[in-house]
Amino acid sequence: GGARGRGVSPGPVPGGGHHAGVSPGQGWSCRAVLGEGHQRTVRRVAWSPCGSYLASASFDATTCIWKKQEDGFECVTTLEGHENEVKSVAWAPSGTLLATCSRDKSVWVWEVDEEEEYECVSVLNSHTQDVKHVVWHPNQELLASASYDDTVKLYHEEEDDWVCCATLEGHESTVWSVAFDRSGERLASCSDDKTVRIWRQYKPGNEEGVACSGTDPTWKCVCNLSGYHSRTIYDVAWCHLTGALATACGDDAIRVFEESASSEPQQPTFSLAAHVPRAHSQDVNCVAWNPKEPGLLASCSDDGDIAFWRYQRPEVC
Amino acid sequence: MASPFSGVLQLTDLDDYIGPSQECIKPVKVEKKPGKAAAKIRIEADGSYFQINQDGGAQKLEKAKITLNDCLACSGCITSAESVLITQQSHEELCKMLTLNKTAAPDERKLVVVSVSPQSRASLAARCKMGVLETAKKLTAFFKSLGVHYVFDTTFSRNFSLLESQREFVKRFRKQSEDKKALPMLASACPGWICYAEKTHGSFIIPYISTTKSPQQVMGSLIKGYFAEQQHLTPNQIYHVTVMPCYDKKLEASRPDFFNQEYQTRDVDCVITTGEVLKLLEQEGVSLSDVDPAPLDTTLSGAAEEELTSHSGGGSGGYLEHVYKYAAKELFGIQVDTIQYKPLKNKDFQEVTLEKEGVVLLQFALAYGFRNIQNLVQKLKRGKSPYHYIEVMACPSGCLNGGGQIKLDSESSKDQLQQVERLYESLKTTIPEENWTVKELYEQWLGGTESEKAAQALRTEYHAVERASTGFNIKW
Repeated sequence: GGARGRGVSPGPVPGGGHHAGVSPGQGWSCRAVLGEGHQRTVRRVAWSPCGSYLASASFDATTCIWKKQEDGFECVTTLEGHENEVKSVAWAPSGTLLATCSRDKSVWVWEVDEEEEYECVSVLNSHTQDVKHVVWHPNQELLASASYDDTVKLYHEEEDDWVCCATLEGHESTVWSVAFDRSGERLASCSDDKTVRIWRQYKPGNEEGVACSGTDPTWKCVCNLSGYHSRTIYDVAWCHLTGALATACGDDAIRVFEESASSEPQQPTFSLAAHVPRAHSQDVNCVAWNPKEPGLLASCSDDGDIAFWRYQRPEVC
Repeated sequence: MASPFSGVLQLTDLDDYIGPSQECIKPVKVEKKPGKAAAKIRIEADGSYFQINQDGGAQKLEKAKITLNDCLACSGCITSAESVLITQQSHEELCKMLTLNKTAAPDERKLVVVSVSPQSRASLAARCKMGVLETAKKLTAFFKSLGVHYVFDTTFSRNFSLLESQREFVKRFRKQSEDKKALPMLASACPGWICYAEKTHGSFIIPYISTTKSPQQVMGSLIKGYFAEQQHLTPNQIYHVTVMPCYDKKLEASRPDFFNQEYQTRDVDCVITTGEVLKLLEQEGVSLSDVDPAPLDTTLSGAAEEELTSHSGGGSGGYLEHVYKYAAKELFGIQVDTIQYKPLKNKDFQEVTLEKEGVVLLQFALAYGFRNIQNLVQKLKRGKSPYHYIEVMACPSGCLNGGGQIKLDSESSKDQLQQVERLYESLKTTIPEENWTVKELYEQWLGGTESEKAAQALRTEYHAVERASTGFNIKW
């Protein structure tokens, strides 16, 4: 029994290095416990780009928006509408859009105005099963979602509504998470099929001759990392500072992959640069790179711990 | 295959997943024999299930069936397979019925009436590349060739829905200081919206919803009531079919509120979609444009000539327009000729404001599609809705874009919708108050606008659906 660490979200960090200390939680102190918002499991939390707001997605079918105050956090609004468990929430880089996804198979896009009023902008029913995760492109208003239906879908705004503009097929089982690289040209997805796949965007008129329909780019799988993980991969995180790819696995391990020096754009190759076999004593659910400090990785697990790691790229990779 | 029901309805109840604590409200009763061992089930090659008893004997197990009525009440469904949900209502069912009717004994034979919605007619007209009048006449001929006796237009019954809505609004407006839930009044013609509202927001939202019946159900009352009497028949001796632009109308027709207990008959026996009419035509090897037109049936509408008319205010019935114009006149003595719509966040959310000397007298809105319905209900819950009346429809772009309309792959859906809109708007519009037959029916048949009979025929109620505990206790 006990707590299960489900997600970590690196917000703007006031600086200072921390390492997985000998004494538990050295250097980290709990600043607030937001206990009055949700009735069930809180599955995911996400900081807004400006750092003043925290969104929490819960199995009680709601998403709370918390505003940082001097002495804690205040729940400014509760987003309702999903039929059942909300699995993930993510803020767009612009800070005015938010996405949520649920076991009800839908992805919702919300907009917030200057008066902190949230309104539903679109309800997307493209997936045929539970949607596990949503993530925004680093610099475009492009949204990605991962689902129990084995696909990744991409969405953007067209006229006055949002539409699904691409479906990435290839995984043989539930896709648990997705992550864009710093440029947004590539996407990494991880799955219950124990692989991590790298997808690349091909715009219309691309020189590689990849066919596109209309004005929408096509996404193709350019790399399949298989044979490294022995269980379901629950999360993947792509460091925007160093390009390192970290995975959270059901075999209790954390792995880091690096792109090889000889890697080609159309056929990138990644190699396993680090492997911590017993990072936790149970399933690792989530990994997140610190956005400011290279090599600083946070992880959390079913064992109830949140761990911090210092990663350094090995000489030969 | 994607569900044909409106997006609003899809989100609320069709789900292949069943949590252990979710229960279908219609369990099949099984005779349980006392015994210690767990039941053994054997599946035969043909897919039938047999329970093997301890003594080796086998018992065939009954297939669990879900009817449309059950679907409406349940908050967790066993299967999302459409075939299960719509077996009782389809063009195949209609064909079966017509075939039976041909060979039935005279006292068992039913009078078959088909009521066609103007939205379906416009969609068929677009598909068959004809005008609406020609489509109506050829459709009449086609249905009659199959054994249908009368073909009517639900534009006629819509007069009642519009008049009742108008009157209801003014009543509610006048008592808003005593009744906190009098306003905003929310339109009630769309069953996708109604089912969603009953299930998801229940007793919170129901008081706001107009109690006026939809044109389909008013037609049901007219056909099984007035028309039956005129024909010297009992309600169950008429088989009433409607042709509608969506599948949600099938659910509306099977609501217990629209079931006549005395005669054990539904006000609307079968709903077929525009697409199903096309299937019927294909089945019969008929091209609608080649059919010889037949004169339109005017017995119900009492129209002197063969003329088709419509109502202004868009393809979903024109509720906002009619309520607005009537209210402006009745409440403030202002005559409104044209309405200015102001689009807000998206084209399916529009506002209309009546102002005089800088004071807002009336503020109405159109809210089509799930996202707009979401926002409207959330605003209502937070007490932040500025509207007096909202025309709510489940489908983006309204009824002309319903899930049962004909969609061609060859053209863009935008172009097709525009064509259907043009055809729908090609008819002359009339004002419900000026329809003599409607006036007469109110006076002669209903005994006045405030009578018990009028309430019975033209109004309905809604029922909050109690949600079974939805498996939130499960650890994921």
